[in-house]
Amino acid sequence: MVKEIERAGIPVVHICTVVPISLTVGANRIVPAVAIPHPLGNPALSKEDEKALRKQLVLKALKALETEVHGQTVFDK
Amino acid sequence: MRLELGNIFIKDMQFGEATKVENGVLYINKKELLEAVGGDNRIASIEVDIAKPGEETRIMPVKDVIEPRVKVEGPGGIFPGFISKVDVVGSGKTHVLKGAAVVTAGKIVGFQEGIIDMSGPGAEYTPFSKTNNLVLVCTPVDNLPQHEHEQAVRLIGLKAAAYIGEAGRNVKPDEVKVYETLPLFEGAKKYPDLPKVAYVYMLQTQGLLHDTYVYGVDAKRIVPTLIYPTEVMDGAIVSGNCVSACDKNPTYNHLNNPIIEDLYERHGKDYNFVGVIITNENVTLADKERSSNWTAKLAEYLGLDAVIISEEGFGNPDTDLMMNCKKITAKGIKTVLVTDEYAGRDGASQSLADADKAADAVVTAGNANEIIELPPMKKVIGDLKPADVIAGGFAGSLKPDGSIVAELQVITGATSEIGFNKLSATQF
Repeated sequence: MVKEIERAGIPVVHICTVVPISLTVGANRIVPAVAIPHPLGNPALSKEDEKALRKQLVLKALKALETEVHGQTVFDK
Repeated sequence: MRLELGNIFIKDMQFGEATKVENGVLYINKKELLEAVGGDNRIASIEVDIAKPGEETRIMPVKDVIEPRVKVEGPGGIFPGFISKVDVVGSGKTHVLKGAAVVTAGKIVGFQEGIIDMSGPGAEYTPFSKTNNLVLVCTPVDNLPQHEHEQAVRLIGLKAAAYIGEAGRNVKPDEVKVYETLPLFEGAKKYPDLPKVAYVYMLQTQGLLHDTYVYGVDAKRIVPTLIYPTEVMDGAIVSGNCVSACDKNPTYNHLNNPIIEDLYERHGKDYNFVGVIITNENVTLADKERSSNWTAKLAEYLGLDAVIISEEGFGNPDTDLMMNCKKITAKGIKTVLVTDEYAGRDGASQSLADADKAADAVVTAGNANEIIELPPMKKVIGDLKPADVIAGGFAGSLKPDGSIVAELQVITGATSEIGFNKLSATQF
């Protein structure tokens, strides 16, 4: 899906846990997620902390979307 | 560490007055068995049945399959950390009721348990159509959380196998096999010219009912470590899996791991089989990186020349497999991988979710997406209804006449990634 949407000229950020698979598949902007059963959350956290975590991930993805890349880039800072 | 495995061949299984083995027949006192496995207030009822090879019987949904064994000499007891204390097992003597199995079944625990057919085309795909199966159909109390349900049924299966295994304690085995692994330096001294080979044994540990236990420890909480191969034969590794039945290792398969047995076969002749590195398949990238770093580090530390790596499961564990392969290869150590494939119903899709050019020697255990047809059976132990929701099933899998059309995935042990079955493919 990532590749097909990009082929249509729309940049995509792939938020995913297993970064190597995303690299194998060919995503260009990759944001590492939390864990496979809960990529965008963490049931071990309180509701407030989990919300903060989610917001931070979405903001990081938006930032990645704005960033010009030359080749596959993992935003893991 | 040296273990003598005494195989007692079981040709038939019947209910009887006393639990005993006589002339190759295993008799089971049902009442005593129920007393041995009962007492968990999370389980409302347990029904016991027997399924024999060739019968028109379907068992589903199957949670685990376990081989009855008993330790007759040496430290510890069978299934350390669950049934026995946590003494180190794997030495002395163990008796095996070869040809008998305990199968736990009943109300579906998760969403993806398997099918065992005792005859017909489905029987060809599972090794457990050839064993005499004592089936425990466990019904949980209402509203029992899934993880509690899984644990309760797991323990019932282990207790039943240990109870039945006791019947073999004083029986003279029909066949004795000896397996021995020397401490590392002694082994290297004894076989100075042979290449050093180990087995990297990947254990399914994704959580959410995909778990494996080592001496009672949830293996997602370990860092990769070393284990003598014979420890595994005494039940050091126990399955807590009940998902995607085709390529998960039931406890039976751990006890009988063909990679371990085959590595012993030519040990001391063509190579020095130095031991087993166990590792996990966790759900965060950091865990995957850490565990594969450790398998590679241990392989280097042991001075290995080659390893065999087996996967358990599919999807994201394909990445664990590739990371192990890539990092061990980078140490100058040869690797052979054992996996299965999810290549689509026509077999034309990419087989694994991940790939690497270091993976240049790979053994497949078959394509789990193949569609198979299972005719109706005269008798069903358990419940047919989950056919539409188990992994490999789909809406409409269960036909009104009781036949099932589904992917091969539904069959317990069909595409065993430790080679405990007959499926494979060869490219010429």
